[in-house]
Amino acid sequence: MTKQEKIDLRTVMVQTFMDAVEDDVNLVVVVSDSTSTSKIAPFMEKYPERLINVGIAEQNLVGIATGLSLGGYIAVTANAACFLVARANEQIKNDVCYSNSNVKLVGLNAGVSYGALASTHHAIDDISIMRGLGNIQILAPSDPIETNQIFRYAFDYEGPVYIRMDNAKFPVLHDENYQFKVGRVDVLKLGDDVSIFAVGSVVHEAYDAATALQSESVDAEVLNVSSVRPVDRMQIIESIRKTHKVITVEEHTLHGGLGSLIAEIVAEEGLRAKLVRLGITEGQFSKAGPRDQIRAYYNIDVKGIVETTKKIIAK
Amino acid sequence: MDNKLFLEPEEIVEKAKAIRKRIIQMNSNAGQGHTGADLSETDILASFFFRILKIDNDYLKNPRRDRFILSKGHGVGGFYCTLAEAGLIEESLLDTYLQFDSRLPGHPVRQKMHYLELNTGALGHGLAVAVGLALSAKLSGKNFRVFVLTGDGELQEGSNWEAAMSAAHFKLDNLVAVVDRNTLQLADRTEKIMALEPLEKKWQAFGFDVHQTDGNNVAKFIYTIESLDMKNKKPHVIIARTIKGKGVSFIEDQPAWHHKIPVGDQIPRAIQELE
Repeated sequence: MTKQEKIDLRTVMVQTFMDAVEDDVNLVVVVSDSTSTSKIAPFMEKYPERLINVGIAEQNLVGIATGLSLGGYIAVTANAACFLVARANEQIKNDVCYSNSNVKLVGLNAGVSYGALASTHHAIDDISIMRGLGNIQILAPSDPIETNQIFRYAFDYEGPVYIRMDNAKFPVLHDENYQFKVGRVDVLKLGDDVSIFAVGSVVHEAYDAATALQSESVDAEVLNVSSVRPVDRMQIIESIRKTHKVITVEEHTLHGGLGSLIAEIVAEEGLRAKLVRLGITEGQFSKAGPRDQIRAYYNIDVKGIVETTKKIIAK
Repeated sequence: MDNKLFLEPEEIVEKAKAIRKRIIQMNSNAGQGHTGADLSETDILASFFFRILKIDNDYLKNPRRDRFILSKGHGVGGFYCTLAEAGLIEESLLDTYLQFDSRLPGHPVRQKMHYLELNTGALGHGLAVAVGLALSAKLSGKNFRVFVLTGDGELQEGSNWEAAMSAAHFKLDNLVAVVDRNTLQLADRTEKIMALEPLEKKWQAFGFDVHQTDGNNVAKFIYTIESLDMKNKKPHVIIARTIKGKGVSFIEDQPAWHHKIPVGDQIPRAIQELE
């Protein structure tokens, strides 16, 4: 792939499924009428017996995936994040997390991926919900290279994993030598003036904002928190100790997501820092409409991040 | 244990009596417990652990073992007492029931206790997981059976019917759901709270091979299980009619005994009735 080519991360995900089966990984994929949502067709054609469609029944999706994992399979669920985390919440809590099953939950089209389809279809609380559960790892790839590596990691790791996915196409942010390491914060750009933490697809907005800021002589550090749990607190602390100015960017509610995570660390470590959290406003459902306009409204696009950065730098 | 657990029904009846006495003793000691549910399911659990599951030394290590899921997690007290009676756990462990950080909490925790496949307690979870397990057997060409014991009030949870629909769709004839049909739930009679009848017809409509039997009669229960046609391309359900609190006159069929324990002279009276 070229540097500029944009790729649907779900296509990369499905390729990891195919590669895994090819490599004798005991993988089954469970969907809930979400064959198009998951772009699973190539897998379904090649390995029809390994694709289980439970119909429009998310509780059953997660329960059946758990049973498959207890029977020795690595069970991957693939459906829209909004239905997964809300409808199957208790199955995720008890069957997957509490029972410590080897299930990988993929939350597709998370955040406001569904744009105009409005809040029934938006998943703006998936990270906070997963953070409230005991033992599940929470990962969110930002680009094709990281998507590939995160799924490979999840198949190797024994235990519950949640992977937050987007429905748009993205260019690569990483070079071919990038190595995802669970827990590590991925520093995409070093800088001294401000630390911009972002998660998932808005990492691109943060990165492009930092590039724009560079031409205005603002040197922003961009940190991709693709591993929300576990996470290396020391890396976060060190960046904040260096810049003392922090912006968090997430297509997620400000309750319990990345912004909360960073705020907890700032408070607990007594860090001297100015912190601005960008995301879906507290206590509100997300706006509906074209996605770029939703992002603009919440200042989680390039322009919003640039302006927020300028304000925080000026203080 | 050197040989596998495979007793005759009349021997299992004696084991069930002993399990019931343990339940009375354990719950009284703990000061809490789901006594009604524990006594309701005793004959079913005894039938599984002393015969149907054919438990031997290699059972837990064997990926082809028959699986048993206790979906009615609040009946875990009866489960612990059955394991103790079968010599599968130390008897002294029963003294720790419900104590702080005990291996024997009030709902099943598989990380703490072998023979538990799933952490249940929230109702309506076991059947879907059993469907997944049964599917895994079909997919991997293993011929193990999957049993799941549900309560009857539990069937008010809609998730069961999602799972039932899929069990029939996937033609899981290696799956057996057993409904502990004692007609009582937490607050009152099932038919008063939210009627389940006609229960047999509901399961039939969902594509199940449906059987009814006396769930407090070991011989009949075992006969029903062992007579199932496990190659009929249909999942099976056994509606096991039971009496909640079975074996102790003042506990039997009393809604109030869902989450109550014998105290004072009720303890020797209960034990005496179980002799």
